[in-house]
Amino acid sequence: MKTLQENLVLVDDMIAIRGVVKKFSAAAGEVTVLKSVSLTIQRGEFVSIVGKSGSGKSTLLNMVTGIDHPTDGKVVVNGTDIYTGVSESQRSKWRGKNLGIVFQFFQLLPMLTLLENVMLPMDYADLYDFDSRPQRAMELLKLVGLEKFANKLPVLVSTGQQQLAAIARAMACDPPLLVADEPTGNLDSRSADTIIQLFESFVAQGKTIVMVTHDPSLTSRTHRNVIIFDGELIDETISRALPQLRHRHLLELTKLAETRAYQPNETIVARDQRMDYFFMIRKGEVEVTLQDKQNQERSLSNLSKGEFFGEVELVRDGKSIANVRAGNQPVEAVAVPHADFIRVMNESPIAAEAVGKIASRRQAIA
Amino acid sequence: MSSALIELRDVSKTYSTAAGDFTALVNVNLKIDAGEFLGIVGKSGAGKSTLLNMLNGVDQLTSGEVIVSANGESVSVHRMSEDQLASWRGKNIGVIYQSFQLLPMLTLLENIILPMDLSNAYHPRKSKERALELLQLVEIEDHAHKLPAHISGGQQQRVAIARALANDPPILIVDEPTGSLDSVTAEHIFDVFEHLVHDKGKTIVMVTHDSGLASRFSRSLTIADGALLEQRSA
Repeated sequence: MKTLQENLVLVDDMIAIRGVVKKFSAAAGEVTVLKSVSLTIQRGEFVSIVGKSGSGKSTLLNMVTGIDHPTDGKVVVNGTDIYTGVSESQRSKWRGKNLGIVFQFFQLLPMLTLLENVMLPMDYADLYDFDSRPQRAMELLKLVGLEKFANKLPVLVSTGQQQLAAIARAMACDPPLLVADEPTGNLDSRSADTIIQLFESFVAQGKTIVMVTHDPSLTSRTHRNVIIFDGELIDETISRALPQLRHRHLLELTKLAETRAYQPNETIVARDQRMDYFFMIRKGEVEVTLQDKQNQERSLSNLSKGEFFGEVELVRDGKSIANVRAGNQPVEAVAVPHADFIRVMNESPIAAEAVGKIASRRQAIA
Repeated sequence: MSSALIELRDVSKTYSTAAGDFTALVNVNLKIDAGEFLGIVGKSGAGKSTLLNMLNGVDQLTSGEVIVSANGESVSVHRMSEDQLASWRGKNIGVIYQSFQLLPMLTLLENIILPMDLSNAYHPRKSKERALELLQLVEIEDHAHKLPAHISGGQQQRVAIARALANDPPILIVDEPTGSLDSVTAEHIFDVFEHLVHDKGKTIVMVTHDSGLASRFSRSLTIADGALLEQRSA
């Protein structure tokens, strides 16, 4: 059942995906590529979507662009519910004004010069005065450093330059949202870096960018990293806290997770309380304190977004040896049952080692 | 005055690179007659794509000349200005590449209309009619209002062929058109090309690395290290 909060779409939301299901019919029967996916992306965010081949990441992106249609659920982009009562041609018009799209294979028209390629969306959306279009296209080519090649056909410039031209074209109608599917997948690392710098400059100007990629050097440069596995989204707090885990395990924990909210200064775990959960912080800060030999309360650490507590090192005989309370702001945490956490750790030695290292570093400071 | 549709006379192309000069084409002489389906087969780096770029004037040549006599006018391709060249190319040459480069957010019909509108060759009302005719020609008119994502790769290549035919050019230049298609689909794409040559009077110059396709051409040539090697008729 959907909660009210899940259905809510706020003004600040650039993209609100709610309960989206996508099924395809294949020779072997029906395949469900997206299994009730909900995701909110706010204005001005730079978000990467990652996932293995076949995980559903491109399908998810196609739900935002309207290139493919959901079997069920709702997608609101820049305030428009794009699948409810909207015809294909209305959606096409809407897209022209709201969305820039960049693909791995650049889709430049081979018989048009770079300048003409950049002018295409302005012609199609019938935006900007006819006579001002070449000048605007030239400014965009300048922005991506291609003004010298404006009158060349795509075949005569490098693949990196073709992708830059495709980005200039995507920005032709000054859309608030840029959607990119593996934009650097076909490029060397230097060209890829140029493109990410360009994206960063767009974000600095207030654009929202959503990018599908499998390149870890790109995901580290986005505000958020959304992981999709087998048609379902992994909780971002969990993937941030336990980045070494396999996607399969991350999804397993996502399904077991409960969200907990705490008031400022509220005790989250009291000493000697049974530790039934492992916690990861989604919002706010918590303070972890230990009692020293003189029975003095000593601060062990302050933890914030993406950090965790309740791991083995703070637990003795199933009970907490530490006090954990919320800081001066409200705290939101994700809790997974301790027994499940231990089981997943036992199956993931690399993640267990990483968690162990962080825990012993904290204790060393104490 | 040349009697061939396309004639290359001693065409050479040298690129300057950081590692020194690289000769991509060496004294290529070639006559292509109207109505030929010419295949040029060679390995990667043999000079295939450079040769195509010489035919349509996309790239400059280092020496030699390319004469094209089409639509009642004989031109030396590399002696035209950029503007003349662009307008000449628009009327005389259609291009088809391995990657179909359809715009994913436009329907098939719109994908064909858009470049027509941009070249101003047809009145907007006529261009839609023409686009539908072309989709019919490549037998895909039933899908006219679909987006490229909703049709197969082979069907997308058909749309790209239809788009290349928008301005009814007498010459089609084709670079590895079936490189990303399975063999059955590739066969069907060849059927479309054969139909264009035999029934529509088009001339097709195609480059490919797949020597297995040689039997499908009316003539096939091999290129290696920038030189045309042998000439055999099918």
